[in-house]
Amino acid sequence: MRASRTTRWLAAAPMAALAVATVYPLVFTTNVALKTRHDYILDRFSPTRTAHWDNLGEAWASAGVSQYFVNSLIVVGCAVVLLLALGSMAGFALSHLPFRGSRALFLACLAALFIPFQVIMVPLARTMTGIGLIDTYPGLILAYVAQFLPFTIYLMTSYYSGIPADIVDAARIDGSSVYGVYRRIMLPLGAPALLSVGVLDALFCWNDVLIALLLMPSAQHRTLMVGITSLRGQYSDDIPTFAAGVLIAAVPILVVYLVFQRQIADAVTAGATKG
Amino acid sequence: MATARLLVRPETRRTNSPTSANRRRRRVRPERLAPYVLVAPAVLVILGFRLWPLLLGVNFSFTGDGDRDGTPVGLDNYAELMRDPVFRIALRNVGLLVLLLPVAVAIPGLLATFLYLRVPGARVFRTVYFFPAVLSPVIVGSIFNLLLAYDGPLNAGLGAVGLGPADWLGDPHVAMFTVAAVHIWATFGMALVVFLAGFATLDATLIDAARTDGAALRQVIWHVIVPGLSRTIQFVFVTTMIGMLTSMFGLLYVMTGGGPGGATYLPEYYIWIQQGQMNRPALASAASTVLFLVMLVVGLAQIGLLRKATRED
Repeated sequence: MRASRTTRWLAAAPMAALAVATVYPLVFTTNVALKTRHDYILDRFSPTRTAHWDNLGEAWASAGVSQYFVNSLIVVGCAVVLLLALGSMAGFALSHLPFRGSRALFLACLAALFIPFQVIMVPLARTMTGIGLIDTYPGLILAYVAQFLPFTIYLMTSYYSGIPADIVDAARIDGSSVYGVYRRIMLPLGAPALLSVGVLDALFCWNDVLIALLLMPSAQHRTLMVGITSLRGQYSDDIPTFAAGVLIAAVPILVVYLVFQRQIADAVTAGATKG
Repeated sequence: MATARLLVRPETRRTNSPTSANRRRRRVRPERLAPYVLVAPAVLVILGFRLWPLLLGVNFSFTGDGDRDGTPVGLDNYAELMRDPVFRIALRNVGLLVLLLPVAVAIPGLLATFLYLRVPGARVFRTVYFFPAVLSPVIVGSIFNLLLAYDGPLNAGLGAVGLGPADWLGDPHVAMFTVAAVHIWATFGMALVVFLAGFATLDATLIDAARTDGAALRQVIWHVIVPGLSRTIQFVFVTTMIGMLTSMFGLLYVMTGGGPGGATYLPEYYIWIQQGQMNRPALASAASTVLFLVMLVVGLAQIGLLRKATRED
């Protein structure tokens, strides 16, 4: 449906204003990140005349952002691979292989979806300490997998449910094992869903601060987001370098968003259509 | 894989010798095991690191901290929570968020309506609006710390139009609203996308029919779009509330640290402080349990209310 011309143009004005309000904070931060400290103290609003790229190098090298960045890459990379592997295996079994308790298992997954991390964080930290995984990469990776697996399984199960059972049957008649069906049919066919949920999982893990703060306390293990929070105290009198660190942390997200916008929206709304 | 074998043990009961059963099962019907093998790792992770901690936590909340570590103390932790003024502020702030909830839902709802009505530039708006939703709360909080500083751009802008500067994060009466507003700024894109997906399922002919019958835009929204989207609206209400109760930690941690004077505490922040700073894990567990109950009650109440409201329409 189309509203009348005037209504549409009238609505466009406040919407454009809101779009500016959405973008401005980022523009401002970028501008600050490219100023010298001196320029910033004199005037923090006007556009920089000459972009001062040194702040980015300073934040990357001296402030330790590069180390935080690598830590985040390791943890998020491993977590996403595990999430996709476990999620697609379980999703395939739950959607195409009849077995005792599969319905109950799916419902348990849905229930787990609604347990917020805050509710389990204290006992989880104790458990991780107990099994010696506190402040280790595997511990944090495991925590992320546990946190986002229910969502991943839910999405993969609903996606695979849309794939006709005939395909599986045909492959079985041709002599493929169940594992073969998974590897040669389900995994390739599931690529679009794996991409969507993988990107979203990666964003969730990359953006998290609470879980990382709780389970990776020591400085050399800090993930990028935890590192940014520590940067603030460290550079409280050098705002441009702090802004540069924030910018470095935001740019990968911006890139992923622009490239995978549709996939992210798909994954978000796939979780919603259930109602 | 030992665990997978454990899971299927009941299936092997009908054979008498375990070794021959093992061999035969592997040769004759290995795929019988397959669903369990495929599901087992996921089940173990979810059981071990999500459901089990939930039970542990509830159990743990009835034990003591410090000297009384491990001893059962009944409801002492809960009593202490209710006496703690900071926790009461945290609960009061939950109430405040519940009051702000309609705003947080109406903004993306209205915007989605206009995007659906094909406002000029709708595509660009959609891309721009959704972007903050993928940014980390830490990044958002850091950026807004710069924007909301006493001598920052927002106050400078207000000064330019003749309004005095406000201490956005330092005034205890303002700070919680500020953080909530930033949270809404950062997350409305998520709800917007969900709304748009809901619109995609709307029956367009119904709207066209209403229009030809001479219904005004306001009437169309109220009598056709809102009832048609009742499920989506319910979903957005519940997820927005869950988001407000569980994903503001990053903002609080970066922007206010719970201050000024505890004014921006939420239960999740309280849990973190008791666990991480005060070394009171049992008390933190009790707060966790309370948070879980609050979410359950608020969620169920919302679903109930909304269901009633949309049925009457």
